[in-house]
Amino acid sequence: MTLAVLLPFVMAAVCGLLAGTLGRRSGYLAALGFVPALLLAVPLAGNSVEVGSTPQTQLTNWVPELGLNFVFRGDGFSLLFAVLIGVIGALASLYSVAYLSERERFGRFYPYLLLFGGSMLGLVLSDNLVALFAFWEMTSVTSFLLIGLWHTRSEARDGAIKAFLVSALGGLGLLAAVALLSVAGGSTNLSELDLAAVRASPMFVPALLLTLLAAFTKSAQLPFHLWLPTAMEAPTPVSAFLHSATMVKAGVVLVAKFGLIFGGSALWGGIIVPLGLATMFWGSWRALKQTDLKALLAFSTVSQLGLLMALYGLADPEGRFAATTHLLNHAAFKAALFFVVGIIDHETGTRETFRLSGLRRKLPLTFVVALLATLSMAGLPPLGGFISKELFYEAMLHAGPGFIAVAVIGSALTLAYCARLIRIFFGGFEVPLDDGGQPLKPAIHEAGPGLLLPPALLAGAALLFGVWPASAEWLARRAGAALAFAEYDGHLLLWHGVTPALLLTVLTWGLAALLVWQAARVYFFQVHLESPLSSNRGYRALLGGLDTFSSRLIAGTQGLALPDQLRITLAAAGLMGGYAVWRAPQVFQPFEALPLSTLPIAVLLVAGALGVLLSRNRLTAVVLTGLTGFGSAVAFLSMRAPDLALTQLLIEAVTVILFLLVFRYLPGFRSLPRGRVRQVIDVGLAGAAGIGTTLLILASIRFLSPPISPYYLENAYKAGGGKNVVNVILVDFRGFDTLGEIMVVAMVALAVGSLVRLGRRGEARSERDTAPATQDLLDLQKRRP
Amino acid sequence: MSPRRVPKKAPKAEPGPGDLLINDPILKTISRAAFALVILFALLLLWRGHNAPGGGFIAGLMTVGALILHRIANGDSALRADPTKVIPWGLALSLTTGLVPYLLGGPFLKSDYGYITTALTGEFEWATALLFDLGVFLVVVGVGLSLAYDLIEVQPTERVEGDG
Repeated sequence: MTLAVLLPFVMAAVCGLLAGTLGRRSGYLAALGFVPALLLAVPLAGNSVEVGSTPQTQLTNWVPELGLNFVFRGDGFSLLFAVLIGVIGALASLYSVAYLSERERFGRFYPYLLLFGGSMLGLVLSDNLVALFAFWEMTSVTSFLLIGLWHTRSEARDGAIKAFLVSALGGLGLLAAVALLSVAGGSTNLSELDLAAVRASPMFVPALLLTLLAAFTKSAQLPFHLWLPTAMEAPTPVSAFLHSATMVKAGVVLVAKFGLIFGGSALWGGIIVPLGLATMFWGSWRALKQTDLKALLAFSTVSQLGLLMALYGLADPEGRFAATTHLLNHAAFKAALFFVVGIIDHETGTRETFRLSGLRRKLPLTFVVALLATLSMAGLPPLGGFISKELFYEAMLHAGPGFIAVAVIGSALTLAYCARLIRIFFGGFEVPLDDGGQPLKPAIHEAGPGLLLPPALLAGAALLFGVWPASAEWLARRAGAALAFAEYDGHLLLWHGVTPALLLTVLTWGLAALLVWQAARVYFFQVHLESPLSSNRGYRALLGGLDTFSSRLIAGTQGLALPDQLRITLAAAGLMGGYAVWRAPQVFQPFEALPLSTLPIAVLLVAGALGVLLSRNRLTAVVLTGLTGFGSAVAFLSMRAPDLALTQLLIEAVTVILFLLVFRYLPGFRSLPRGRVRQVIDVGLAGAAGIGTTLLILASIRFLSPPISPYYLENAYKAGGGKNVVNVILVDFRGFDTLGEIMVVAMVALAVGSLVRLGRRGEARSERDTAPATQDLLDLQKRRP
Repeated sequence: MSPRRVPKKAPKAEPGPGDLLINDPILKTISRAAFALVILFALLLLWRGHNAPGGGFIAGLMTVGALILHRIANGDSALRADPTKVIPWGLALSLTTGLVPYLLGGPFLKSDYGYITTALTGEFEWATALLFDLGVFLVVVGVGLSLAYDLIEVQPTERVEGDG
């Protein structure tokens, strides 16, 4: 399992390095990265996932002191999902080889895809809550990169940012939930949580709500569904992988797994089931309106995720069994459909439904694949989708009459948009035209095996799950022990007699037929009924509000003249010193007399400081400031700290040089006019800051606990092998601090560099800079299949 | 200006506004001698840092000083690489020295050391901490230089009558 998670990361590095030489063929390497995940099918088929046996766990220590470790736990549900990720990941990699243009940046695409795959595998297999959170965040980051792959397009950037902001919000929720759970449950491992303690804890409800926030944002539930449709800016293989089978289901996985903790609470189901059904209805309603095939699939995914959420939210064996079955079905047909839309886009140059018709004649094999997948999505026999829809109705019948009504209407809408989708294959063939009436592609022919095979395999699975339901049942039951539905005795059957569920299905078909018959009216109605409560509008208003808020905050605090800012800083320093004295009056205790040798140094420091005050010229001021710095260096030397002295000297030298370099661009040095009162205030402020800082330092050298330095002196040579204790501390004892510091320093350099260069580019930003950008965009549009 | 010295990178013919090519022969001559000395001393500080005053940070700052001097005196960078590109290598080196002991099963950033005795050099200590320090050195050089070069090369938006 560790290997299954690790190898995609390793392969990401390999693909990144070899992309230049291998080009599109690095996709085969990427597919190879998913092989260990596929091999998890072996333990999945074995006995270790049966009831009563303990799932295999693998442990890699990370920070054991904090309970932060990589613990991968091979229970049936995790393994099932990992294998699913492996299958779709490998298929998406292979499909991309044929799909992407030769000029695509493979050095980014496949590494991102693999990083995502690895994070996703880590997420589903991880039993450690903190590691689970880390992987969760990594899926957010990598999906941001994948959605924004074509980053020169503003839609791609918008989509990526939106997806990232929404899922980052959920990520914060998950972090808090994980913290609450591990404190309340006494362990950072999900399987070792003390469930009774969690349920009794006052943190139960907050943890539950925060978990739901995470799950709903990730799985695009109302009202957080807004990011998923715009995420379709990603290349189609990415959509097939992320937005059908894996990432968007992370929230579903969370609800399924955490349902064992929270399931007993009425709040859990009370929130998830209505929201899930509302999402299901809203997603299918919006899907029916779309003319872009990919947008249609996106909303359809929103709708199906709502269905899965509602089922897992029931938190009973029946619901979990139905949900797991539908999870498999959905992964098969939705990924297949994304691949099919990719083929249509690739071969005809458009995804708009009104430009396409009669594709059956030109793309016969694609048609067969699309038909199977669409029938499964529509929930028609004899496909897998029919069976899981029946189970869904059964489960909703037990939940309540209101729920079943929403479920039926949602399903009827689903059937209607499936009809819209498949209609592009029927009727007479017409060459797809662009807006100017010109053909988009000179000739349309069937896709090659590289594009057809992945969706064909998935559509085959969807068919298999329908005509031989025992196969799907066997797979779903692998998760039985992990999700506590092993005792549930329902079975998957195509025909199980005239039941209420079957009657509801017939009712659904009738409603759907009505919708299809009156399609034109429904469409007219939809177009004229714009939602007054658009999540997108809320998102924009929120972003705009934050922008305004932060610019006002900056204007209010940073917009002052430099002297005013200095006054604020100095006043704060004085206040802090005063507070320290108030809290720790022992600074007034007498301290040992300082050696007389420090007197000349003190004179030097004071002279430098006074000189700065009196200088009438910036250069003199800087040199005199430097003097105080050099004086401190001498002081360090007198205290026998050569390392500090040397560092201080060099810092002072480099700072003076940098000062001088900047001064070329500053306006002349002149005293600002100020009244006598101001002058008195300023002197007071400066004095208070000086005294305050001195008192702070005096307070800080009084040891409140035994000092740590003897330990360093004793162990520097023994443990670090160095005679220079300061250096041993820096590179060994506190090496982690040093590492953090050099990272901060590096970031500062990048920030200063971009600020300086931004100013430089500001002048040149005219035709010269914008022209190539436009050219890039044109190239991209050509490149986009 | 010494006629024998052929600059490896041709300096700009016309010093533009804000260009710090001073063309001072005295500065050039001194800088040439000082540059090598300072760099050597900096490397010495880096090397002995484990056992005597010195270390990557100090050595890096000193190198930055030498390189700025060279840049101001001669108008070209003594470092062929873009200094910003040195930073990630330094970070990577420091991180790797931290990660290797972790992957070998020890704690993160655990350093190791030992002694080799050869006829020529006598007892000689090696320490993985030196590699870590080398990473720090590279980061400091990269950061310091990229800051300085940015400030040297920036085009002033407006030349104000200064007082310097």
